[in-house]
Amino acid sequence: MPGYVQVNSKVVQVPVAPGREVLARRGAMLAYTGQVTFRPVTAAQGISGMLGRAVAGETVKQMVAEGSGQVFYGHLGLHLTVIDLTPGESLQVEADRLLCHDASLTSSVLFLGQQGGIRGAVRGAVSGQGLFTTQLAGDGSAVVLAHGGAIGLQVTPGRVVAVDPQAYVGHRGQLSVDVTAKVGWREAVGRGSGEAIQLRVQGQGVVYVQASEQKF
Amino acid sequence: MDAPLSPVTLPVDDNINPYAFCVDLQGEWFLHKGKMIAYYGQMRFEALTVASVSALVAAHFSSPLYADDWVVATGVGKLVLGDRGFDINSYDLDDGNLTVRAANLLAFETRLELLQSIVPGFLTLLGTGKFLASSNGPVIFAEPPIRVDPEALVGWADCPSPSYHYDGHWMTQNLVGLLRGAIGIVSGEERQFDFTGAGTVLIQSSEKTMADPAALRMMEQQITALSQAEKVHLHRFLGAQLTQ
Amino acid sequence: MARFRKNGSRIVEVDLAGESVKSLAGAMIAYEGEISFKKAGFGGGEGIRGAIKRKATGESLDLMECTGTGTVYFAHDATEIELVPLAGETLQVESSSLLALDSGLKTNVTFTGLRGASAGQGLFTTTVSGNGVVAVLSDGPAISLEVAPQYPLVVDPDAYVASKGQLTQSFVTDVSWRSAIGKGSGEAFSLRFDGSGVVLIQPAER
Repeated sequence: MPGYVQVNSKVVQVPVAPGREVLARRGAMLAYTGQVTFRPVTAAQGISGMLGRAVAGETVKQMVAEGSGQVFYGHLGLHLTVIDLTPGESLQVEADRLLCHDASLTSSVLFLGQQGGIRGAVRGAVSGQGLFTTQLAGDGSAVVLAHGGAIGLQVTPGRVVAVDPQAYVGHRGQLSVDVTAKVGWREAVGRGSGEAIQLRVQGQGVVYVQASEQKF
Repeated sequence: MDAPLSPVTLPVDDNINPYAFCVDLQGEWFLHKGKMIAYYGQMRFEALTVASVSALVAAHFSSPLYADDWVVATGVGKLVLGDRGFDINSYDLDDGNLTVRAANLLAFETRLELLQSIVPGFLTLLGTGKFLASSNGPVIFAEPPIRVDPEALVGWADCPSPSYHYDGHWMTQNLVGLLRGAIGIVSGEERQFDFTGAGTVLIQSSEKTMADPAALRMMEQQITALSQAEKVHLHRFLGAQLTQ
Repeated sequence: MARFRKNGSRIVEVDLAGESVKSLAGAMIAYEGEISFKKAGFGGGEGIRGAIKRKATGESLDLMECTGTGTVYFAHDATEIELVPLAGETLQVESSSLLALDSGLKTNVTFTGLRGASAGQGLFTTTVSGNGVVAVLSDGPAISLEVAPQYPLVVDPDAYVASKGQLTQSFVTDVSWRSAIGKGSGEAFSLRFDGSGVVLIQPAER
């Protein structure tokens, strides 16, 4: 099964076939060959997670690409990272940073309060993305957007990584993400209260960080 | 830090890196305003209205709509061009033609001839010579048949001008609303440029295009062709759009 | 001394073993190990006089100091990073282009000339001097251009990033340059460098 091809740092070429539909954020299609049609996805279509997203007031609209052909995706000149998931693995990413993924992946909206109680909820609030992130699981590929490109930092037991919430893109693996207020950090940065918070990532996996403090 | 470049070691009519280009100026080049970032040597930049370049303009720059955005660089030296960190590509035409988005065209040799394309916002280069164009991310070269989001299109060569393709599903859902003018086309999934025939299509990596001030001027020019009643209608339409 | 290393072109990693590094406040995107952060005093260790000078000249510099053992990752707004080593030299750099520097380096504000012949408005820049590494930001990969007595260099002020060496800088306001800049954007003058040295430019206008 031919997979996603990264044409350059900002464009990905994705195969579409019957049984291999692709979900992408609206407006991200650059070009396509073959017979492909695009249809907005709504909760009524029953794609897992969409109902939750609608309830959450999530504003990122998605289009499903169906048919047979090749679709080129990109968004606002942002750099892309292709992440291949194997069964049993999951990727958690802020909804705004998800460009496209195989429709076969199960997508669910996580309320961060479920993961880490009230502190988890704070995290969603400080990173400015609301309280919900998208979790993808299954066998397939996903493409994540990052301003200036993302680097993956390995997290292993005993090797904790602290991340600026503004630079956090997503993570995969068995990781827990905690919010901490680092002493001296707020004073050192001298900005709004959100900047006083750091994300402490521990466990076993990879955390993705972008080369910018900018949200999009 | 790399070893510094000098007029001796700067490339001759070639890229310094993907985002900067060095023109070895020996005479004249047409240049999009604001795109030169440094130069060595003796050179001048003349507006297209200056008498000394009027013959050149008359013969090689046939687009009054864009004349205000361009100058002629004259002299001898090394001229470094950049465009907001966008990728820059040089293209060599050999008795050929290539149509490119006006906002992406940076510079061209005065041997080439510039014409305004029938597709709004695009310029056609004809003849033999070199020109430079920028793109948001590297350019992807594709062959028809292909359908492209209008905003991701950089240009095309040799193939016929594109036509619009509307997504069938979208048409059946929205045609009534569209005819009433109640909805607009909002994304590339609903409308694309359809390329057929033999040739090359140039696609850029992002649908975020550069601002083209000429697009507004072009619309202004077209308004003069409207009747009084049509202008009143347009006035009301714009008023409604602004208050939305 | 802190060890600077690029990860790709837009992220710099600095290894610390008990030393400290100064950086643009808020430019830390991640870190490992035990690192503490504090505001780097007035204008980055220039004392109260330095702070007053910065306020008067508008060359603001908001730095923080990171100290400890581990690795700190810095990046800013997805711009490219150039590592400039200094060996007892002085680098002139726009304060907005400074990402990080060895904490042993000294920063200051200097007068670089008058904008235009008649306007009389003073222009100031930040200088960094000493021994160590400076991480400089540029919009697109920086290009270093040599200046020698036989070939002076003219630069768009919007593309200028930094310079070092024995250079004299002048502001050229000629009609020709003005005709070549876009309407309502860009500077109405160009920067001319004479002497011997290196000028760093970026392939984008600010």
